[in-house]
Amino acid sequence: MSLIPENVYYTEQHEWIRFEPDGAATCGITDHAQEMLNDIVFVELPEPGRRVRRGDPVAVIESVKAVSDVYAPAGGTIVRVNSALEEQPELTNRDPYGEGWLFALEGSDRDEIAGLLDPAAYGDLVAREEEQQ
Amino acid sequence: MKKTPLFDEHLRRGGRMVDFAGWQLPVMYTSIMDEHVATRTRAGLFDVSHMGEVVISGPDACGFLRRLLPTDPERLAPGASMYSCLCNSRGGVIDDLFVFMLDVGRYYLVVNAARLDIDLQWLREHCAGDMDISDVSGDTAKIDVQGPRSPDVLARVFHDGRLGELKRFHVLQDMLFEGTPVMISRTGYTGERGYELYVPAAGAAALWNALLEAGQDAGAVPAGLGARNTLRLEACYSLYGHELSEDTTPLEAGLQWLINSPHDYVGKEALMRQKSAGPPRTLICFEMVGRAIPRDGYRIERGGRDIGKVTSGSFSPTFSRGIGMGRVENGAATVGDEIDIVIRNRREQARVAQRPLYAYSG
Repeated sequence: MSLIPENVYYTEQHEWIRFEPDGAATCGITDHAQEMLNDIVFVELPEPGRRVRRGDPVAVIESVKAVSDVYAPAGGTIVRVNSALEEQPELTNRDPYGEGWLFALEGSDRDEIAGLLDPAAYGDLVAREEEQQ
Repeated sequence: MKKTPLFDEHLRRGGRMVDFAGWQLPVMYTSIMDEHVATRTRAGLFDVSHMGEVVISGPDACGFLRRLLPTDPERLAPGASMYSCLCNSRGGVIDDLFVFMLDVGRYYLVVNAARLDIDLQWLREHCAGDMDISDVSGDTAKIDVQGPRSPDVLARVFHDGRLGELKRFHVLQDMLFEGTPVMISRTGYTGERGYELYVPAAGAAALWNALLEAGQDAGAVPAGLGARNTLRLEACYSLYGHELSEDTTPLEAGLQWLINSPHDYVGKEALMRQKSAGPPRTLICFEMVGRAIPRDGYRIERGGRDIGKVTSGSFSPTFSRGIGMGRVENGAATVGDEIDIVIRNRREQARVAQRPLYAYSG
């Protein structure tokens, strides 16, 4: 069963975004996404300081077989990236919402939440995709 | 889309099915890494029933093969096989294949699934004399059992002393599994000791399940196309459509050793000309220096100059880094040279290595 934590929002491209107490928003890919990708062997993260808009391709995750783009769930400025993934890309498989986080944004507009999926809606999306397989 | 006789078994075992050359096959069961490592250290079983099998028989069968193969079929004796290719008149590769000599006047060709129809057309166009071309693909399932424990897995199912004596590139035609005839060759596409089993479609599922069950404590696992690709890439084996194509000669794929026939075969003139002039392009294999991963089609540069492209690229579970093969201008890069692979507009360093990256370990 795909993990879908309650305290985050989701995109249709299987990214998650969690608004932190300090105002930054941590982002990553979902449990469903990491399961589909299977063995993650390389992660390319954006440069801190880069300004992004919602939907911009900002990172690349490579599994053994394939290259996948990761899109910004919201607009803002990249303030932190998870450099542990350089040596241990498999963290994103093991703990996609925790140690496997990808990058954090600041200055995100919380109004953009309206365009995101809540856990229930994301759960429906995952269920529909799994049915199709 | 077509299904092999093992389709239901793959679903039962949790195989992740994908479309390959119009067939539904598992790309993996658990993970490509696990299946790759299992095959290198224990045993992996692959369903490759989609491949084509063609029987060439008759008094003129050998003469027919002499006219089409750059590798001399007269070097074969009954029970032996050889890797070769079918070339067009320009020396370009129509398909790469294995040719088994089953008996005098009886040969068994194993070809790529995606090229079967084209191969049959080519073979039939060149058919002459007292011979017959019979496509047996539809009724033939193929199971590859590869890895250092593969002899143990087979011994538990076949109980036939001849298996232990079977030499590499040789074939046993009359093995039996519960009354079903099975042909077993000591060949493979992984770089490990291994066997390829040819069984009538109706008997495939029983054999597959028996092998996996008997092989369990030897650590045998089912493995998918994903691992099959990373295994063959490490061993630097060509894949049609990547290292080989109708516009690529065997010389440009580093397969000059295949070209040994004294007979008059299609493409000979073009190949001999290319051999003396030197082929315009050659195949290299390389290892990435950093962590970036090369992929099919990426450009290759040397000293800022475009010299060719990646024909096959992936992450190597054995070497824990990106590896690949590429077709480059002849002379532009040789073993030990530094090259750059252009990955998402950045030049990532790689080093040309001696082929093969992973030496045959059988």
